[in-house]
Amino acid sequence: MAATKKKQLSVCRECHRVVEGSSCSICGTNNLTTDWTGYLVIIDPEHSDVAKRMNITLPGRYALKVR
Amino acid sequence: METEPRLTRIYAVKTTNRAERSVADNIDKAVRDVHNTIKVMSVIAPDELKGYVLVETTEPLARVQELMEQVPSARTVLPGATSLEEVGHYLTPKPAVSGIDEGTIVELIAGPFKGEKAVVKRVDASKEEITVELYESVLPIPITVRGDHVRIIDRGEDD
Repeated sequence: MAATKKKQLSVCRECHRVVEGSSCSICGTNNLTTDWTGYLVIIDPEHSDVAKRMNITLPGRYALKVR
Repeated sequence: METEPRLTRIYAVKTTNRAERSVADNIDKAVRDVHNTIKVMSVIAPDELKGYVLVETTEPLARVQELMEQVPSARTVLPGATSLEEVGHYLTPKPAVSGIDEGTIVELIAGPFKGEKAVVKRVDASKEEITVELYESVLPIPITVRGDHVRIIDRGEDD
């Protein structure tokens, strides 16, 4: 019943980036979804093993699983 | 270029319930602060791990604790670091239909048939959907539901 106060964030289906607007700023596509789980924040992709494993080269917020 | 030891550690940080994403965002904000000297490479907040976020860093425990003092909703840092090998499985989540086969008895946990028990008739792994037939319905009507909207009751291995 609890209404979600938070705005539902969209995720780009191509790059899994969490985006705010109506299109992905990196891919330029508007293939977005609000159906995603898992959250990953990459701060320093150059030194991060997690980013290497996920093949992420840009810092930002990502979803781990996108439907 | 400074040379630094390439030793990334992962610390689990306890958070307030359901505040995992905001803690991850706030850690990001705290790390990007101009006065901050504590390096954090990434923050993972897997859905399977409720109440914790995983922080990837090269810093020792005390420095991570120092950083968490500035982060709202972050509670304590668990003593003892882990490695990417140990938490790597969170980065590639299992499909929602894993462990569900034809004949599995499930309970629907969302949607209009919430609380009803059903038998799985078909599994669509690519769409992560399953087709079930309700136990107590007179007519066998197939219903397609999402794999994460059911809870497994019985795997139906024994007859």
